[in-house]
Amino acid sequence: MPPKINAPFVERILTSFIRDELGRCGCRKALLGLSGGLDSAVCAALAARALGPRQVLGLIMPYGKAFPQDGKDAVAWAKRLGIRHRTIDIAPQIDLYFAAHPATSRVQRGNKMARERMSVLYDYSVREGGLVLGTSNKTELLIGYGTIYGDMACAVNPMGDLYKTQVRDLAVHLRIPLAIRRKAPTAGLWPGQTDEGEIGLTYEELDLILYGLVEGRKSPAEVAAAGHDAAAVERVARMIRGSGFKRALPPIAKLSIRSVGHDFLYPYDRSR
Amino acid sequence: MKIALAQIVPKLGDVAANIDAHLEILEKAKKRKVELVCFPELGLTGYTLKDLVEEVAFDPASDPQFRRLVAATRGLSAVYGFVEESPADRGLFYNAAAFVAGGRVLHVHRKVFLPTGGLFEEAKVFAQGRDFRTFEAPFGRVGLLICRDFLQYGSSYAHYAAGADVIICISAGPGRGVAGGDGFETSRMWELMGEAVSYFSTAFVVYCNRAGSEDGVTFAGGSFVFAPGGRLVARGAAAEPDFVVCRLDLADVREGRRKWTFKRDEKPEAIWRSLERIVRASED
Repeated sequence: MPPKINAPFVERILTSFIRDELGRCGCRKALLGLSGGLDSAVCAALAARALGPRQVLGLIMPYGKAFPQDGKDAVAWAKRLGIRHRTIDIAPQIDLYFAAHPATSRVQRGNKMARERMSVLYDYSVREGGLVLGTSNKTELLIGYGTIYGDMACAVNPMGDLYKTQVRDLAVHLRIPLAIRRKAPTAGLWPGQTDEGEIGLTYEELDLILYGLVEGRKSPAEVAAAGHDAAAVERVARMIRGSGFKRALPPIAKLSIRSVGHDFLYPYDRSR
Repeated sequence: MKIALAQIVPKLGDVAANIDAHLEILEKAKKRKVELVCFPELGLTGYTLKDLVEEVAFDPASDPQFRRLVAATRGLSAVYGFVEESPADRGLFYNAAAFVAGGRVLHVHRKVFLPTGGLFEEAKVFAQGRDFRTFEAPFGRVGLLICRDFLQYGSSYAHYAAGADVIICISAGPGRGVAGGDGFETSRMWELMGEAVSYFSTAFVVYCNRAGSEDGVTFAGGSFVFAPGGRLVARGAAAEPDFVVCRLDLADVREGRRKWTFKRDEKPEAIWRSLERIVRASED
């Protein structure tokens, strides 16, 4: 696994990051989607500690009656943290859309649902005057295991430099209930889907491979030589390469002397 | 002598607000009878400037706002980090450190080594300084460095060879690595190198880093002072604002140089000849 994190120190850095980022835009509230899974449970706990629980809103956005246990776990965790929460069923708009434009795959349906949740979050961002916190971890970002402009969309992301296995360590420190920590990680796009089933590797092994390729700056051959299946390492390297577009802003065709995204460059955090 | 390390969180791109914050800290320092206050690299502007560089730059000799900070040093010395644009070099922007004492700017150091690559992009926006010079401060001979300058082997040697009693490095060092200790892993690297240089140079090594975060990067804090021969005098909090006040006894430099005779036995001319030969050879 990647190195074990100093969880209390990481908590301190991430909570001040959340406070700093919200403070810069004169905002005291944060909101996030609560899936009942580990990443959003951890993110909610960080936000509650950073801002005070009443400044945090968790939106639970099930598709109809799918995954009832996840909704229950999300509500229970929100109550434990003392954050505000609200459940919004996205089935009506999803069903209406696909009745008129039938989907050809479950991935297509899943992506649409992820973007619907994003759309609800951003609408609530305005209603609440709060910022949307992202919950994508480093493992997902690196292999592109997420829906662009869906669950990957956010105003700030406190989780994006923690591998999944490190999120698990942080979860223990933050006392996330076992019911959530023991669940098989899933994007929840369809019943029976699990991350590890889809990716074909356990998170322990995946994170180790990613750590070698990214932090270790090793070649796939070198990582494989350290004791991993060469085909698996190559597949991971391919996933990283193939998902670069999800980690960058879209390129702008350059025409002028000074162009947005090329040579008109300002910090995100300029004091306002 | 009492010194203070102002491990602050500058407001990015807001020079006026940062000048006010500096003035407040100077007042606080004066009340505690501090003789030298160090502020971090780009403490008057914030670090992640990108194209803001030209908007926040000023000439330390004539800028009316900066004059307030110069005037505030009657009775003490201060090191300020800012973006310099001087009338002689219009359109060139330097990552600079000014040593100000008794209402006068005694020295301006322009950062020589501009980290560019990875998360750093300083050479994209700053012009390069080209010199390391020591100068006489009210309390002794001082050499200034800015962040990466210190990590390049030769910089502190240049100050040492020129007789610095105190090597002051102001910094905006981002924290990286969360696997161990009570702070970022990179803080340990800085402290080890500071300790080592305090042995090599038998001088004081004063390191003032900043705190806070910009664009997702958290600055590691962990400012420190080492007395000659590796004695840790003070250390700032990891990754949060702090105001560290400690005492330096300049007699420790003399003590250190009696105990460890590196300075007495130093041969800058031998180093110079070797370097000259190496540089000439690389030019052929």
